[in-house]
Amino acid sequence: MSLFLNKLSYFLVTIFLSLTLIFFLIRLAPGDPVARILGPNAKMEEIISYREQLGLTKATHVQYIDYLTGIFKGDLGNSLYSKKKITRLMGEHFIPTFTIAFFSILFAFIFGVIFGMLSGIYKSKFFDHLARALAITALSFPIFSLGPVLVYLMAIKLKLLPVSEWGDLKHAILPILTLVIPLGAIITKVTRNKFLEEAKVPWVDFLRAKGMDNNGINLRVLKVCMPTILNIVGIQMSVVLAGTMITETIFDIPGMGMLLFESIQNRDYPVVQGIIVYSTIIYMAIYFTVDYLNEKMDPRIG
Amino acid sequence: MMKHKIKGFEIKLGGGIVFFYLFWALGWFFYSHFIKGSLTTPYNPLPNLKTELLAPMSDGFLLGTDIYGRSLVEILSAGLLYSFGVSLLVSFFAGMIGLFIGQLSAGDKYFIKIPSDMLTNLIFVFPSILIAILFMSVVGQSFWGLVFVLSFTGWPAYAKIIRTEVLRIKNLSYVECSRASGISHWGLFFRIIIPAVLPVLLVHLFLGMSGVIISEASLGFLGLGGSEFSFGAGLSSAKSVLLEAPHITIFFSLSLAGLIMGLNLLGDGLRDYMDPKNNERISK
Repeated sequence: MSLFLNKLSYFLVTIFLSLTLIFFLIRLAPGDPVARILGPNAKMEEIISYREQLGLTKATHVQYIDYLTGIFKGDLGNSLYSKKKITRLMGEHFIPTFTIAFFSILFAFIFGVIFGMLSGIYKSKFFDHLARALAITALSFPIFSLGPVLVYLMAIKLKLLPVSEWGDLKHAILPILTLVIPLGAIITKVTRNKFLEEAKVPWVDFLRAKGMDNNGINLRVLKVCMPTILNIVGIQMSVVLAGTMITETIFDIPGMGMLLFESIQNRDYPVVQGIIVYSTIIYMAIYFTVDYLNEKMDPRIG
Repeated sequence: MMKHKIKGFEIKLGGGIVFFYLFWALGWFFYSHFIKGSLTTPYNPLPNLKTELLAPMSDGFLLGTDIYGRSLVEILSAGLLYSFGVSLLVSFFAGMIGLFIGQLSAGDKYFIKIPSDMLTNLIFVFPSILIAILFMSVVGQSFWGLVFVLSFTGWPAYAKIIRTEVLRIKNLSYVECSRASGISHWGLFFRIIIPAVLPVLLVHLFLGMSGVIISEASLGFLGLGGSEFSFGAGLSSAKSVLLEAPHITIFFSLSLAGLIMGLNLLGDGLRDYMDPKNNERISK
């Protein structure tokens, strides 16, 4: 229980500090966001009234307190473009993003662990070389170049899958594949290296001497590798979140990424800030949950 | 023996690819600064709407043209030079800050050690790409803004590596000897610690460069890059003509993938080579 409280307090402090840092980073950024939103032809009166509307004329500490309470109440004001409430806009766009991110992590984890383990077992055999070459190739294609290439190959050349719509299961295959390939490659790489490292440890020899069969030994070694693999998944979560958003813009999926992209285009920076702030909180929550589970599973880390 | 051979192979292949790209980028630099343009106003690929979307190998355009009718070879070269510039600058700044804070957090003074360690851990768990998206959407298209935000979120990884390295080095006998002979704190830092951690730092700079290139291109893809010639911006505009002109997407993807693969192979190979855990060169 004390471990849980320890992690929870660390999580809350980190969230608080990172939200503070985000706030000041935006205020310190050069240039006037209001002037950029309204464009070069805006009149001075317009700029001033807009600043008041955004609450930028208040003292900095008042703005800061408003910002923090707004985040915890779920009220970040209205979008500059569509005039809707930001949290409502995000709620409308949440489901596709969550679906894609969840299934990509799930599949990437399953495939990554299986391929990584097999690659570790058949070290320096054909399968190992193939898996490593594939992983290196997969990691060289970032999501925004892998996505269009997959669309070109699977949808335009081979006509296997629909190009870009959203609605039924078929449309989710390509976006999920786009995310599973790089993430799965990272997990494969980490699993293989960790598996080979742990397979050298003396207790593996002891189990073998005791007469345990290879499958049993491999599963036990894999169990020891799990904390490291989970840790990598936790660290990769920010890449997964950003990657999901980029994937959505490639496949025209009406999720958070599409909202983010449109808000960037419309210079609707309160919405951008809202999306980033809540993504940061989600990412940190996952990161610390994984960290907690790791210490629960592996007493050596603590 | 076999393993040793493969490691060398990784370094050679990756190094070859990186040198090819470096040669390409430098070639474009000299071409655009001295042959076509001048030192102060480099030659930039300009829109030429008469030759819109040409296929490769036609009309004197080696790889065809993009949606604005610009020669794709020139766009790719400009993007490559820009990618190299950003990644070198960001890696350099992040590495320098990491070196400084890392050695502070491995120091002896409690009131310097603990805060710098906490700062490192705090910024390390930051979702760097999300922060960069937010920062760039406020700043707008700005080269130095991009370099700043990527260095700001990038240094803790270096600081952690430097910290463990410095802690390891401090226990070696030659460092103890020089401390016993009365070397000052900064003398120790500049004359003993920096030469000792430099190889490890350089390897991790190579590894970090590919990450910076990917981050920069992701931002460019979302319309937040520091230049219109970014690979990400190019891929974003190529996406809308994927049906009519898939060659743009394919050339962009392949050149970016080659660059990242070269840097990853070189970095991984060098890291494995320097890792004392699986090192055979000492025992021989």
